[in-house]
Amino acid sequence: MNDVLDVALRLLVVFAVFLVLPLVIGQTEHKVMAHMQGRLGPMYAGGFHGWAQLVADGVKFAQKEDVVPANADRRVFQLAPAIALLPYLLVLVAIPVGPGEGAVGEVVDAGIFFVLAVMGVGVLGSLMAGWASANKFSLLGGLRTAAQLLAYELPMLLAAASVAMAAGTVSLPGIVDAFEWWWLPWQITGALVFFVAGLAELQRPPFDMPVADSEIIFGAYTEYTGLRFALFLLAEYAGIVVLCGLTTVLFLGGWHGPFGAEGLGWVWTLLKTAVLAFVVIWLRVSYPRLREDQLQKLAWTTLVPLALAQIALTGVVKVVIQ
Amino acid sequence: MAPIPGSGLAKGLAVTLRTMTRKSHTAQYPDVQPDLPPRTRGVIGLFEENCTVCMLCARECPDWCIYIDSHKETLPATAPGGRERSRNVLDRFAIDFALCMYCGICIEVCPFDALFWSPEFEYAETDIHELTHERDKLREWMWTVPEPPALDPGAEEPKELAAARKTAEKLAAAEAAQADPAAEAARATGTGDVTPSAPGTGGPGQQPPAEGGTA
Amino acid sequence: MTLAAGHGFLSPTGVEIAFLLVGIVTLGAAVITVTTKQLVHAALWLVVALGGLAVEYLLLTAEFIAWVQVLIYVGSVVVLLLFGLMLTRAPIGRSPDADSGNRPAALAVAVAAAAALIWVVIDAFRATWIDLDGPAQGSTKVSGAILFRHWVLPFEALSVLLLAALVGAIVLSRRDREREGGN
Repeated sequence: MNDVLDVALRLLVVFAVFLVLPLVIGQTEHKVMAHMQGRLGPMYAGGFHGWAQLVADGVKFAQKEDVVPANADRRVFQLAPAIALLPYLLVLVAIPVGPGEGAVGEVVDAGIFFVLAVMGVGVLGSLMAGWASANKFSLLGGLRTAAQLLAYELPMLLAAASVAMAAGTVSLPGIVDAFEWWWLPWQITGALVFFVAGLAELQRPPFDMPVADSEIIFGAYTEYTGLRFALFLLAEYAGIVVLCGLTTVLFLGGWHGPFGAEGLGWVWTLLKTAVLAFVVIWLRVSYPRLREDQLQKLAWTTLVPLALAQIALTGVVKVVIQ
Repeated sequence: MAPIPGSGLAKGLAVTLRTMTRKSHTAQYPDVQPDLPPRTRGVIGLFEENCTVCMLCARECPDWCIYIDSHKETLPATAPGGRERSRNVLDRFAIDFALCMYCGICIEVCPFDALFWSPEFEYAETDIHELTHERDKLREWMWTVPEPPALDPGAEEPKELAAARKTAEKLAAAEAAQADPAAEAARATGTGDVTPSAPGTGGPGQQPPAEGGTA
Repeated sequence: MTLAAGHGFLSPTGVEIAFLLVGIVTLGAAVITVTTKQLVHAALWLVVALGGLAVEYLLLTAEFIAWVQVLIYVGSVVVLLLFGLMLTRAPIGRSPDADSGNRPAALAVAVAAAAALIWVVIDAFRATWIDLDGPAQGSTKVSGAILFRHWVLPFEALSVLLLAALVGAIVLSRRDREREGGN
């Protein structure tokens, strides 16, 4: 009975984090982006500097009519947001925030593979949405999503494989346990490749060609309204949480910090995740959207070779150390 | 001389980060009233005491948004045996701000200084008909017309003042010719009327602020 | 793996029941995949079938295999499939013209393949039982050890095959470009 309670409690906490952190990041994006553009951002909702803006948005989304286009494939269309959102919830379960059994939703043996596999499933949601909307812009968005996914899945995997090689394990807590500070310079290329490829997989600017609003309206999400649209948005921000958390765990040493290792490890994890999330927003504000051919070129001619070089380096160093 | 690869990317990040640390430019309008320049075209006020119903404004208006009704009144002769005078009396003067495009031509053409720009802009209505401001409302806007800005320090004197001073100087000269001892005092009062501070209240909008003050 | 001593078919454990149910779902999804008249639905049902397979692997404690199954098949192969469908033709609704007259032949091949596989599996494993309670027999460590100790030759052969395919693809695409450049 105690086990059941324990599992239920863990899942509840993960679910709460899943609901809260994306909103926090969304609000931060509102404010940081505004100030980076010399604006103030939301100021009214909630009274103090518009802290409740996203709550207000959620209420607005919930009130909207849930429209399904007449020619759309109803069931696939309605299922797509759930497919897009749920994988990130699952991934969050496996990300450890602190040392020990207590700080992870569920220990998964092949953690890296679980995380990457499930994240890849999330993109199916965009594809389904793009196809089922019966809209040519949606279809174009879906196509671009697929092309982008195919291109960036590989470097992401290779970069993750490099760190798994370094640690000699594929379990996420195991990798963080094995982390030493000098991994930072050693795995820096892999970290960059992983982060960039992850951004591309989330379709965040500057890799937001699949939803490029100035040419294909909103890509696969063009026909969505109300709660289903909100779910897609939530999926994007949950994706940021997951990507930043994963980069932290894999490359930045998770709960290891210069001091306060005892009991305060989870603070380090959250802090690093927050800094990375800030970088995600920062990149969005600073860079223009990459063209489709530039996207593909970046993946195939830069990231893949870099990731392969990182793997080679990891292998060499690993052998030398032993 | 070739730049370091990626320096452009770094520069982009630096620009946004620097902007973030600076004060934002957002005007918090409903909380903080905007600081509008004095010649802002907000709404048009009618100083109806000056209006002679010449209809120039209505005729020149590109949008035909000025409505004027009037009738003629005959005034009895002031002196016995004199001619009767007729006078235009304004019955209705309305501007439809739903049509107005704020070109300001009516104000430019008014030969009697009866129309003025006011910087007030918060007169949105839920019903479009209420955007037609009738004469009493247009008269109300007059209280909000700001004092005209002072002339530039080196500006030419307004014509009225120049003419007045000329007469005064002539008069003074004539007086000086009559009585030398009094000449100095006379000249002092003559020039005192046209000190540089005077032009500030001269100009086309002289009367309204004098009567209404600033709102 | 141990022999089926002490295991009966009449007193199934929870895992066995789950295995069976997921198997039925997988089979059903697979059947729908090949019989549905809607092209994209077929691809999506394929996702269900492959996902079901992954769950089966999980139930057999082969965690690593399960996640790789999801990663490769659901994450990449199906995406590639959908990409191809969208690029060519992906009408919403039925597409009867996509039906060829080869149904009986396909059925025959499928039945033959299934029969061969079932025969091989039964012949190879008979009534061996995976001990689910002991140390995981399909964990990453075990899989890796088996793959690179006992099966290293087939593994290398497969690598060479894939490398050949990769090189072939590059050569084909490059030749096209040179021809364009020449004209």
